[in-house]
Amino acid sequence: MSRHELWRRIKKSKFFVIGAILVILIILLSVFAKQMAPFDPLKQNLRARLKEPTGQWSNFIFGGDAMGRDILSRLLIGSQVSLQISFTVVILTAVIGTVLGIVAGYFGSWVDTIIMRFSDIQVSIPPMVLAIAVMAALGNSITNLIMVLVFTRWVQYARVVRGSVMMIRNTDFIRASTVLGSGKLRIMFTQILPNVLTSLIIVMSQEFGRTIMTESALSFLGLGVPPPAPSWGVMIAEGREYLSTKPFVVLVPAIALMIAVLAFNFLGDGVRDVLDPKNKN
Amino acid sequence: MLKFIAKRLWHTVFVLIGVTMLTFLLLKLTSGSPARLLLSDTATEAQVYAKEVEMGLHDPLYVQYFHYIRDVLRGDLGTSYFFKVPNSRLISQSLPATGYLTMVAMGIALIVSIPLGIIAGMKRGSVTDLVAMFFAMLGQSISSVVLGLLFMLIFAVNLKWLPSMGYGGLAFVIMPATSLAMQMAALITRMLRSGMVDVLQEDYIAATYAKGISRREIVTKYALRNAILPVITIIGLQVGTFLGGAIVTEQIFAWPGIGSLTVQAIGNRDFSLVQSILLIISALFVGINLLVDIIYTLVDPRMSFN
Repeated sequence: MSRHELWRRIKKSKFFVIGAILVILIILLSVFAKQMAPFDPLKQNLRARLKEPTGQWSNFIFGGDAMGRDILSRLLIGSQVSLQISFTVVILTAVIGTVLGIVAGYFGSWVDTIIMRFSDIQVSIPPMVLAIAVMAALGNSITNLIMVLVFTRWVQYARVVRGSVMMIRNTDFIRASTVLGSGKLRIMFTQILPNVLTSLIIVMSQEFGRTIMTESALSFLGLGVPPPAPSWGVMIAEGREYLSTKPFVVLVPAIALMIAVLAFNFLGDGVRDVLDPKNKN
Repeated sequence: MLKFIAKRLWHTVFVLIGVTMLTFLLLKLTSGSPARLLLSDTATEAQVYAKEVEMGLHDPLYVQYFHYIRDVLRGDLGTSYFFKVPNSRLISQSLPATGYLTMVAMGIALIVSIPLGIIAGMKRGSVTDLVAMFFAMLGQSISSVVLGLLFMLIFAVNLKWLPSMGYGGLAFVIMPATSLAMQMAALITRMLRSGMVDVLQEDYIAATYAKGISRREIVTKYALRNAILPVITIIGLQVGTFLGGAIVTEQIFAWPGIGSLTVQAIGNRDFSLVQSILLIISALFVGINLLVDIIYTLVDPRMSFN
């Protein structure tokens, strides 16, 4: 696809444009979270306990939580935590899934059988249930959370990549490469990898929103980011008690979560529209 | 077709063995001795050690795994460290509530998504289509945590139409079931829409138009049958998401199902119970997908040829 054609498709896709703008905004907010946050997100201030939103940036614009911490500051730093986790998870999962998918697809036979059988077992356990059980067994920390999320999502990539590899494995240019004496590793990573990159990017773009959502659900259950770190899931869980009296404590992180996931899903759909216009799914 | 089913059954057995290995290893990952949890707090090191030997915790791993499989096959899922009753009893007591919740949720998802998806696919670019797509996008982006709490805030706290939590009839089940159903409804709407769009462009649909068959008949008799096939598979696969989502939803609405039991078990560090729940949920999920695949071969005659 020429650069011109790519640009034309990007401009045509409303999803891509809206999603990209929102995602860039969210990333900027989280990168500069420390500079923008008016308070220390962990600092408790009893006088601001459950303080109603004031509408002034540096005076509890979104109110204070049950410990008198500034909700805005927690929201900003929390976005950093969520984004760092989901970026790490998506990239790690993509790398692991791709390597396994290429190896399975290229070597075939027993290597393929082992990897694919393992993926069969993996997908037969509902991911959220598995994540909950493993987090409970390991104890909650950010490292464990990342490991668990990678562990429950790699199959997605491995299957897509394996499918693409099997399609191009027997094409003439791969054969030509073998005849010219290229080693297996070289063929896998210099010839095959660039050819599966498109499908890979599409899957990755779809995974961000899902990862943010899963992370927040686990944190909500107390099995994700350990408190007092300000994760959106933790904030929602902590505010639940005050749902009937001070709903803003829950509403602010809940709406932020919704907007963030929506933005990443828009971008994900946009990326698919741009890279794979045949697929209207 | 029988060959396909036999192959599928063998595959299921294999997967279930793998699942038992995973659940077995999960329990080994937990820190702390299960023997200590079973004994009273005053037990000495020697007593704990004796109990561990009695429980077979010092046997080689493969022996322990073998014993585990033997017990599972006998229907013995172990004893809860905390409740001191068989895990199987605790699980069978909470399964009906989860079954009830997921069935209602599934019903809501299908009632909303099937007509919406069909109409959106038939009238691409129409207002209905735009509404359907907006609904689908929003539905996929709103987690059941957020949706559940929003519902609770609107319908229980502010409008006071529904009880905010607890177990019971329609008034109790409607909020948790709807918040659980949203993701699936969104997914099916999208799939059915794109399926309809694709099928309606096929040559055989053009041929039925040429024959002068009414549009209504074309849609119900020719297009829908093909567009709905992938939806059947998705329903099977989504049961897994449902069971996962149910844990969160049950926790929010204090619904006494398997999800609440899981959260309780984790709170009590009752890992034997967590392990059993994981095994049962996975077995259920595998069984449902086996059923879906068999139904698929019955519905779609093309499946039997390959």
